This record gives sequence, C-alpha cells and structure tokens, in this order.
Amino acid sequence: MGLAGLTICSTAFETLGRAQARALGCPDLPLAIIPHPFGLRTREEVRQIASECVEDIARLAREAGTAAGALSSGSGGARADRARRLEAPGDHDGFNRYCRERRWSDGLPLVPPTPERVAAMLGHTGRAPESVVAAIAPAYGAATVEVIAINAVMAGCEPQYLPVLIAAVEALSDPKFNLQGIQATTNPVAPWIIVNGPIARELGVNSGLNCLGQGTWANATIGRAVRLVLQNIGGALPGEMDRATQGQPGKYTFCCAENEEANPWEPLHVERGHARERSTVTVVGAAGTLNMNTHAKDADDLLRVLADTLAHPTSNDYYFGGEPWVILSPEHAEVLKLAGLTKADVKRRLWEASRMAASRLAAKDYARVQHTRGAELGAMNAATLVPAAPTADGIGIIVAGGPGTHSVYVPTFGQTRAVTKPVDRD
Amino acid sequence: MTGNSLILDPTVPGGSAPRHGRKALDGLKGKVVGFIDNAKPNFHHLVDDLAELLVSRYGVASVVKHRKRSASIPAPQAVYADVKEKCDLVITGSGD
Repeated sequence: MGLAGLTICSTAFETLGRAQARALGCPDLPLAIIPHPFGLRTREEVRQIASECVEDIARLAREAGTAAGALSSGSGGARADRARRLEAPGDHDGFNRYCRERRWSDGLPLVPPTPERVAAMLGHTGRAPESVVAAIAPAYGAATVEVIAINAVMAGCEPQYLPVLIAAVEALSDPKFNLQGIQATTNPVAPWIIVNGPIARELGVNSGLNCLGQGTWANATIGRAVRLVLQNIGGALPGEMDRATQGQPGKYTFCCAENEEANPWEPLHVERGHARERSTVTVVGAAGTLNMNTHAKDADDLLRVLADTLAHPTSNDYYFGGEPWVILSPEHAEVLKLAGLTKADVKRRLWEASRMAASRLAAKDYARVQHTRGAELGAMNAATLVPAAPTADGIGIIVAGGPGTHSVYVPTFGQTRAVTKPVDRD
Repeated sequence: MTGNSLILDPTVPGGSAPRHGRKALDGLKGKVVGFIDNAKPNFHHLVDDLAELLVSRYGVASVVKHRKRSASIPAPQAVYADVKEKCDLVITGSGD
C-alpha cells in the first residue's frame, strides 16, 4: 500500500524541498511550511507554530496529488542517453549569453562544447561515451562519460584531463563522501581535489608554489570542471538546491597535487592503499583554508601551535567527529621528519593536542555534540575534551606547496569522509 | 561571424529515480504517525507539540518518534523499516 509522506520545511528551504522531491521521484510530496529561522524561536513561539502547522498537516494528509495512487514506474536507474545536440550562437558573446540564460556557468565565460572538442576529449578514455559513471546528487542526474567531457570542455580542460575527472566523479559519488549533504547544505563546502601519482606530473597539476592559487591550467580547469558537473548534472544551482549561506571561493575551483618529492613520508595514495606508481584522485569536503604561518623550528613547538589552530568552537569537525586536514609545507614537514616523527606520529600528536574543552562550545552546540557524539564520547561535562575526529587517523595530512613557513588548515563539512579512487585510462 | 554552431548539452534531466505517486489518507483518526526529526534546533519541540495536537485534536492513535544523528546525513535503514512497519503517515523535517 505504501506510506503517506509529508515534509515540514522552513521557508528558506521550500525551494530545495520542492526541487529535491521532484528529483527523488515524488513531485507531489506535500510540504507544510513553517517560518525560518525556526531554531531561534522561543518555546512559546514553537507551540504557536505547531498549532498552525498541525492544521496544514491534517489538510495536506487528505489531499491527493495529481499523480495520486499507485506508484508509476520510471526509468528505474541512471540513464545512458547520448547528449542532445543544440544550435547555439557561434560568436563568443552570444554563446556566453546563451549559457548564462540557461544557468550553465559558474559565472565565468565558457568554451563552446562542440562535437569536435568533446570527441577529442573522449579519445582519452576507453570507456563508452554513454556509460554512466555516477548519479550526481541532489538532482541525481546521470553523469555519463560524455556529459562529464562536455562540462570539462566548457571549463577549459585539456582533453587528457578526462580520466582524472572520471575518477573525481566516482569519488564524489561514494556514499562516504555524502555529496547530497555537501551539495545542499548552508555550509561553505567545496570538493577539494587532490591528485597523486605519475599523472599529476604528466598533466602539470601544480603541487608546489601557489598550488592552491591561480595560474596553473590543470589545477584551475579540473576544479572548475568538477563544479560545472555538480551544477549541470547534479543540479546544485546557487539559491536553489545549493543553499550555501555565503559559499566560498573554492567552489570555483579547488584542486592541487601532493608534493610527493618534498614529502618525507609515504604520499597520500600510498597511505590509502595504492601502489606508488598508481595515479589517484582524492576528494575532501573542504570548508575553507586557513594560513598557519609559523617560524617554529622545534617539532613540539610546531605541533603545539598547529593543534591550537585546529581547535575552534564553531567547527563542524568538532560537532560531528569529522576529518580535518592539514597541508604541511615542505619546510614544516622537514622539521617534523628531523625530529624522527612518522606521519602517523604527527596525526596522533595533532589529534591529542587539538582536543578542545567542551566549555568552549556555545550552549546549543554543546547540546548538538552531546546528541551527535554521545555514543563516542559518553557522558559529557564542561571539562570533557572533544576531539576533532573520532580517532587520530582521522586527521588528514598531505605535503604541498613551495618554500615558506606556511602550512594550511583545511576544516571540513564534518559529515563527510575523504574518498580516493584510482585514475583509469582504459 | 554571428551564425549558429552545434554544441552538446552539458545538462541532463535530473531525477532518474522511479516516480512515486502521492498517497492521501481518509483523515487522521486512528492512524499512526511517524516523525523523523532532522536534529535541527527546536525541531524536537515541534515534534512533541505536533504529536500532542495530532492525538488530542485529530484522534491520531499513536505517534512514533525518531531523531537523526544530524540533518545532513540520511536516517539509518532501521528507521525507515520501523516507520514503514508501524505508520500510516511519516513526517520529516527540512531546513532550520
């Protein structure tokens, strides 16, 4: 018979609620709307809202939708149709106006995805154009190899970047990454793409000076192509299903390689179970970057100040038991290596020293931590030390960048885990 | 040069999920209503108040309450199984 369903939605989330219901095959899902921001209401105001909302619920529960009754069968899985061919203005300005009207852009000019350009890119994978790599949340559009290539062309990618993008899409759609949450959240989260192995050098993915900054074609366009895939296939348009309060610049592009030559330990992909000569892509649900500038030359001193930076009471990693990342500069990594520390030692030391007294949290967030991490932390009090990750190996570390005393703190969405996928060129 | 060129569509239709119709109830009297609380601030209060009103004002037989660990992750399968087994109507929360 099935179950009747209804969602209570605050006004700011009505657009997302309706779009999400359509995407999940329930276009008639009734929504009972309550005022936003609901969390700020007093207990008495909540009672008043409940009194009005219950009438909506009673009314909506009786109403049949336009497609009421039995389930109708849909396509039942990811589609594998070839991309539509369209006539678009051939001149630069006209083409970009055409894209802008359709919201196909990240806000910057695009390269026309002509059949010739897309075919050239498809020549760099052995996979069939219509094969589905993943369904991309929150709209669950089918990301075929061809549509990924189309978006990569538009982003300005060189044709040989395609296998990296396919691996990135596979990683993003792994349930551990929680793309649904990341795409639709109010948090400023961007997928950070880390490339490891020989392909990084081959494609010229920058791992050194300014690797997270401007100026390197591969870094800029690979990250940009991922964003276009998330918008054009995943349907996460700003203000619609992408509910980011401010967003962050990394949502334009956020891609680098690990500086494996300057890494005194095993590189990320080896740590995560891949052979050194294998190429991989790792995705991280990154909530920004913070410069950690210190001239510390003593390992204990360095670890102390890095850990102190990790601990902050407005952090999703602390709320949910996340997976904060640190990009060590080669100079900082060298200080730690000279002290005889392994990467696992560094993680353990950072994890221990970054535990934060629960008293630093806002009252509401303290309650949130009690609810989300109660099973992990047990009974809490103000003196409870809350770790950023459930275990020490939850601290992510890569070595990247050029000369300088700057490491980078990359906090995460918290309810996400990094995923690594091998790059397959066949 | 202002003529048209051929390009390939970078978008795909969303919603490859099977489509579900909307099920209507013939009133709430005697029904079992389930809540999946999204764990946002105040939502548990709303659930408590609605549960009370649904029973007192509309004759709902009983209410089943579940609370997610946090808003941005799906509810565990056991929660879906429980509401599917016990409830006539399930109410979820979105937003804050």
